[in-house]
Amino acid sequence: MAPKAKIMVVEDDLDEAKLIKMVLEGEGYEAACAFNGVEALEKVGSEKPDLIVLDVMMPEMDGFEFCAELRSSPETEDIPVVLLTGVAKHIRDSKYPLDGVMRAEAQDYLEKPVKPEDLLAAISRLLT
Amino acid sequence: MKCDRGPGAAEPCRAATDAASDGVNGGKNAGRACWVAAGTLSGQKDLGPCAAGTDCLACDFLHLVKSEEGQAFQLLTLARRVHNPLEFQRTISKVESLMAIHERLRSHFDLDQTVGEITAEARKVTGAQRVLVLLLKGRPPALHGEFTLRGKRHKVRINVDENSAAGFAALHSQIVNLRDIYDVKPTGGVPVFCREFDEQSHCQTHSFLAISIRDSEERVIGVISAANAKKGHFSSDDEWFMEQYATEVALAVEKQKFVQQSVSALRLGAIDETIAGLSHCIKNIAQALRAGSHIIKRALRSNNVQDIKAAWEILDRHIERLADLSMDVLAYDPAVREHSTAGSLNKLVEHVVKLLREEARARSIQIKLRSGKKVDPAEFDPMGIYRCLVNLIGNALDACPFSQGEVRVSTKRTSKSEFCISVADNGQGMTIERKMAVFDLFETSRPRRGTGLGLPTVASIVNRHNGRVEIDSESGKGTTFRVFFREGVAVV
Repeated sequence: MAPKAKIMVVEDDLDEAKLIKMVLEGEGYEAACAFNGVEALEKVGSEKPDLIVLDVMMPEMDGFEFCAELRSSPETEDIPVVLLTGVAKHIRDSKYPLDGVMRAEAQDYLEKPVKPEDLLAAISRLLT
Repeated sequence: MKCDRGPGAAEPCRAATDAASDGVNGGKNAGRACWVAAGTLSGQKDLGPCAAGTDCLACDFLHLVKSEEGQAFQLLTLARRVHNPLEFQRTISKVESLMAIHERLRSHFDLDQTVGEITAEARKVTGAQRVLVLLLKGRPPALHGEFTLRGKRHKVRINVDENSAAGFAALHSQIVNLRDIYDVKPTGGVPVFCREFDEQSHCQTHSFLAISIRDSEERVIGVISAANAKKGHFSSDDEWFMEQYATEVALAVEKQKFVQQSVSALRLGAIDETIAGLSHCIKNIAQALRAGSHIIKRALRSNNVQDIKAAWEILDRHIERLADLSMDVLAYDPAVREHSTAGSLNKLVEHVVKLLREEARARSIQIKLRSGKKVDPAEFDPMGIYRCLVNLIGNALDACPFSQGEVRVSTKRTSKSEFCISVADNGQGMTIERKMAVFDLFETSRPRRGTGLGLPTVASIVNRHNGRVEIDSESGKGTTFRVFFREGVAVV
């Protein structure tokens, strides 16, 4: 059986990061966690993930800034990103216009609370 | 001179050429008394250019001259040609009371209080037995007002028609000044006094003055009236002062409207933010519950006890977080009315400490309790104080260092009708920024456990007890929350 892909979970909530990691590992993926955008950028170089599951609202560097950084480097610009967010819609629309700029940057976007089955389906779709 | 129209200018200000006023307040001509030579205190309809459309009583220049001149300040002496020193002093004090109202109006936004102050001042200035501010309300509009007599509030309602002097003033937007009303037989076309007014206002009127109150667009919004039980009449000076009071009432009404609009906008903004914060917190909890449940189901199928344990530990924490959030939302809601009851505060505090002691022990934290001797019996809202204690002690436990953590809880009676609960930790202390934001909704320093509602809930409960919170926090030494509760306060 071919080895499963490597996924990086970028999420500032330790519990959520740990649970998503367990969900992914249960499906045979190799998963690593980073707890903010700055740490994630550092790890992307060494871990070389096949896909990133990214929370939008994080301290220090939010999902937007992280995505922009990711896309600015030729080595990481093609890594697919699945965005997760719990931001209320009206705030998201004014502060985080996901339907505009971010849709172009991220390959999929799921709203919290995400069903693990939906997350796995999105990941599987992007990796095939 | 503020208006910059000195002598020799193409269109000199009357103040600059008013040689009769030379030297007043130490100015050239009326240079330091322009409000009486060309401004709103001149009594003239065609005001000087800088006074047109403004109110000289609110002018910074007038206040500057007043503060510079002190006791020697001359406000009205020229315009009113008052030579009698006693009369002059009286006039000055009347105008100063008007200015005081104007000053207060800048900071007040309580319309009833402001109207109360205006009517009290107007009563003093005109010597009237009853001064009423009647504002147009309802459909069809009628004049509505209130007054207090021997501590009791009375309401007045007058129709807007020609059957009453106040109604006439509102209908025709003009000054109605009636004298010896019971001696004069009514004739057609002139306003008459409506005797019902006396019944409603508990007054036996002989002379009556009513002036319409107009908003900034010159629409009549009400009437200010003065009724005098003594024979005689209201003078033209009284008319002038009452017109100024009418202007102040109009300003107060407009300010109230503006404040209401702003408050309404703020409230909507706050509701938006609250819903957004709550929704974010609930979504995060639900996310953990969904993922945890998924992992446990899968682990049960494969009998993976390790995964079950790991996921359950997280799930358990989030179930507690959800319970805390629900309880805090309930306790925070000002619409939830709890009742204060007499009981033992010390027993309640001991109960909460006992509940949290196990958690503290698991984290190697010692909780020390010192119960004040004179605290009981105390009157308090048990549910509210319970939530305060759970939040404050829970926060203190989280703030403790990993080793040698210590939380000190104490109760103390601070006065006959006040007690204090103090919760201290020996953690890192708070930064000034953190201290400033502790009561903000959904601000949490514990993203894994906190709901961001804990301390706002404490603040809400303390407010309902008319109490206060003191925070002492020192870097490296820890934080102490002292919460003071007032007894005998209706908790709403």
